Amino acid sequence: MAIEDFISRHQEILENSPLDLASNWKREHPATKLIGCYPVYSPVELIHAAGMLPVGVIGAGNRLEIAHADSRFQSFVCSIVKSTLELGLTERLKFLDGIVFHSICDPARNLGSVFKRNFPDMMVEYIHFPQNLSSPHAVDYLTAEYQRLKASYEKMAGTEITDEALRGSISLYNEQRRLLRELYALRKDTPQNLSTVECYVLTRIGTLLPPEEHISILKEAIPGLRQRNEKPKDRIRVVLEGSFCEQPPIELLEALEAAGCYILDDDFLLGWRWFLEDIPTHGDPWRNLANAYINQSVYSGVKHDTREPKSKHLIDKVKETGASAVLILAAKFCEPALFDYALYKRALEKAGIPHLCLEFEEKMWIFDKARTEVETFVESMLFD
Amino acid sequence: MIYAAGIDVGSTQTKGVILNDKHEIVARALTETGAYVTKAAERSFVEALETSGVKRQEVAYVVGTGYGRYKVTFGDAQITEISCHARGASYLFPNTRTVIDMGGQDAKGIKIGVDGDVKDFVMNDKCAAGTGRFLASAAEALGMRLDDIGDISLKAKNPVRLTTVCTVFVESDIMSYLAQGKKVEDILGGVHSAIAARTISLVRRVGIEPEVTFTGGVSKNIGMVRALEQKLGMKLNVSPDSHFVGALGASLFALERAAKGVASFESRVSSPTPNSGKNPKLEPRKPDAEAR
Amino acid sequence: MVGSTEAAKNTYQGQMHLLQKEIMGRYFERLTRAAEKGEGKAVYMLISGNPVELIQAFDLIPVYPEIDALQLAVKKSALPFIQKAEELGYSMDNCAYVKADVGLFLGDRKTPFATIPLPSLILCNYVGCNVYLQWFEHLAEYCDGELYNLDIPFLRDPSGQPSPEDITYVVRQLEEVIEICERISGKKLDYARLKAIVGRSGETGEMWSRIKGLTKNIPSPFDAYFDSVTMMAPLYCLRGTEEGLRFFETALKEMEEKVQMGTGPLAEERFRFIIEGPPPWPYLRTFRDLFSKWGAVAVASTYSTVGGLWEFGFRHDANRPLESIAQHMLQWNVTNRNFLQRYQQIRRYVQEWHADALVIHSVKSCRLFSAGQGDMREYFTKELNVPTLLIESDIEDPRYFSEAQIKNRIDAFFESLEHKKLVHAAAEAGGAA
Repeated sequence: MAIEDFISRHQEILENSPLDLASNWKREHPATKLIGCYPVYSPVELIHAAGMLPVGVIGAGNRLEIAHADSRFQSFVCSIVKSTLELGLTERLKFLDGIVFHSICDPARNLGSVFKRNFPDMMVEYIHFPQNLSSPHAVDYLTAEYQRLKASYEKMAGTEITDEALRGSISLYNEQRRLLRELYALRKDTPQNLSTVECYVLTRIGTLLPPEEHISILKEAIPGLRQRNEKPKDRIRVVLEGSFCEQPPIELLEALEAAGCYILDDDFLLGWRWFLEDIPTHGDPWRNLANAYINQSVYSGVKHDTREPKSKHLIDKVKETGASAVLILAAKFCEPALFDYALYKRALEKAGIPHLCLEFEEKMWIFDKARTEVETFVESMLFD
Repeated sequence: MIYAAGIDVGSTQTKGVILNDKHEIVARALTETGAYVTKAAERSFVEALETSGVKRQEVAYVVGTGYGRYKVTFGDAQITEISCHARGASYLFPNTRTVIDMGGQDAKGIKIGVDGDVKDFVMNDKCAAGTGRFLASAAEALGMRLDDIGDISLKAKNPVRLTTVCTVFVESDIMSYLAQGKKVEDILGGVHSAIAARTISLVRRVGIEPEVTFTGGVSKNIGMVRALEQKLGMKLNVSPDSHFVGALGASLFALERAAKGVASFESRVSSPTPNSGKNPKLEPRKPDAEAR
Repeated sequence: MVGSTEAAKNTYQGQMHLLQKEIMGRYFERLTRAAEKGEGKAVYMLISGNPVELIQAFDLIPVYPEIDALQLAVKKSALPFIQKAEELGYSMDNCAYVKADVGLFLGDRKTPFATIPLPSLILCNYVGCNVYLQWFEHLAEYCDGELYNLDIPFLRDPSGQPSPEDITYVVRQLEEVIEICERISGKKLDYARLKAIVGRSGETGEMWSRIKGLTKNIPSPFDAYFDSVTMMAPLYCLRGTEEGLRFFETALKEMEEKVQMGTGPLAEERFRFIIEGPPPWPYLRTFRDLFSKWGAVAVASTYSTVGGLWEFGFRHDANRPLESIAQHMLQWNVTNRNFLQRYQQIRRYVQEWHADALVIHSVKSCRLFSAGQGDMREYFTKELNVPTLLIESDIEDPRYFSEAQIKNRIDAFFESLEHKKLVHAAAEAGGAA
């Protein structure tokens, strides 16, 4: 199948009902247990090493009507919290055996409790990542936290997680992340050859399939994409930041590009591209995984790493990619992203980098306002 | 004589303006947008042509703007209403540095440069606080006509303090003030004051520098003009053409492009901009525009 | 907290309220002297599960931006600060406590109650509230100050207990904080003094716990929401000091006398309710009156356990100072407990404090408290059959308080409770006849 057909077929699935890929896979492999991973980052290797399949539960897109979750979470709570609960309440998560939440924000944490109460048959885990990355004791703490999860995942899987199996899983996900880094590098260098939506689709399917399958898809796709030779359009080049948890609708990504932007880098699905380099496969794999979180991972506002100023990575990214502006695309009611923005704004203005801040919701359906704002922004950069 | 046109397709009304090459407005047209957006755009253009007696082929360039700008199928280019409002306001009041635009569904703040170019801008989120819609809810709650409430609000002696700027809750707040025996003008004074505060707080995000020009449908409401002026401590520029500002800006862009001729316009497009080699160039966005 | 005395005017004003005003006045004077005359060094901290004992041990001044923010709200002067922060790029949807504090921090830090000193250390005790991490990171960036994130792992194990590794991790961090405090204060930790302070915190916890137990009496001697907030300020700012301990002795004595006399905060106690969520500080008095009118008294509140949860038996232990500070932070406060543990806390209140109803005050700013309270209502109404009212406003932003809406809901709720009581009483009388 041509890569274009492959992508457009999967784009349609992702637009309609993103979890179908995983639930279909489960139907064909009923013996394998599936564990949902809420954003942002989850140590998927632990799940995989127990012989289970980690699956990204990253919202429900804009086709699911929220009919029940609104009565549990108030109007001022972001879309993804409500859509995830709606998926559960409408029995669309039946194909999962468990789900894991993380210490990214207060609503996501309370959602974990609400899941526990409403879905007693599901394993519901919660990982508290260290929020004090400056302390030398953080690695010990996180290693212990992973050992605690080990017991829980082993019980779910009915099998032991051996060091050997964990090393194997780390190595496999290393390869997946390496290929994703290649894909992103390709778009950064030649955005005319790989649209943001294509890059997104190729990344997102990796959260819904076994890593082996995703690796072979990427291995086949990347050389073909390298062969493309499109003429660059006259667009401004931007770095996009703020969509690390709730995901914008694919139609919005299309609209952003059509409004005159090449997006050279973004933080979509950030947790699945979490490491800047391979995690070592020799030595104690538990400690390696914990250490990599603290010392080898990408910058993320939800990590609360105070070892450098919050905006440094963003300004570095602008410089490294050769972008001329920043698009902040923050989910409505997402406190981490909206707080980050206040510091980004200050730093970008100081650095003389133009930026535009937009809010989105995964459930949004009409993109005129966003498009108008981006077009105006592009015009303001072009008409000067 | 070269002519240029701007068509502003707004959510409720579509506005058309034709300019001659001396930058004089030779025609204005105003029509309800309705459900058939393309037809409304065409209708306002035809109306403007008829009013001015200009022939269609004499119009060298047409720019579409407003939310329905891509439905201006006869347009040569599409430019957003924010850029057009900035340009139009700057033309009417050359010292304009800030534009406050309040329409039926949205509120905007635009910071503009000496040439009328957009330096920064901000739009309200989907919450209707600070828009014409909020005023309409207040008018409905009081059983009054929207056109009348501005004048009445000026009579307020002790404006009430509204605890909410939520369109959903404003009606119950108003009911409760009526039940307490508050005067209608004092309630309306409070309503205008609350929206003015909300709007200024929005526009402050881009910084408010004088002169400030107030555009959009709500600028016809004298109560809102006064409330904004009082809170800002400065006079606002309000033109009798305030609801044509978007179309006017579009026609100014069109004239500029027409005057340069299409060829020279294209050459500008393909040359890199002075400040950066790898930087943005203008692209004809029409094909993409049809994508959705 | 201090300002809640204002709301108490038309209800009752005891010795406790007067003494609170006096000692908190002195505390705020201390802040002003630090800000204006450079007397003493300030450590910024957060209320949830605060480790104030450590700060007292170095004679550093604990400063809580949350208290500053709520004081601004009570004094109705928060909005300009909130708007200033919004102009700088903070969203309408960000926590308004943070916005008010940022607006204040970036100005001259003068308030109607004190001038707030700049921090020598920004100690982010991350106990449950994720926004804390953002808040203090922002302050640190604005003043280029020293920031330490004291990370408290959330209670996530099905046992509801912290793991031994959690405790070790927190103790190790407390030791790091001690090193920083030694550097800032220029003196070594006096371990005996720390033990004495922790011991006084233990005694204070005992007093506070007994005070809270008194509201099990009918009538309740005080309102466990509106009057508890008066006692919370000394609990956080002065815990571990002699002055703080004396305050709680006085308060306990006064409340015990009220129990003896059978008096409460209202002329007649007609309804007993549990309240969940922080109060609407900008309209505290109005809010209180909406309940008083119905003869409704709060007999327990989750909000009064933000800084620490003592009524279920926890006491600081002078023999294990750091471990017991760690346990307080990890386990013995409402914010670090998971949402379902909070359901159980409220359930105990309903049963042991003999309540008729639960009122959930859902505030937009604090999603730690509010996100998911619809599920909480579901649990109490459907599973436990407890009449539950959910109302929405905010802790800080006056723009989110719709008095007409809230009044309607409170009136409708108590009307229906009253109707039930009447029908029930009539049925009983009928049965007896």
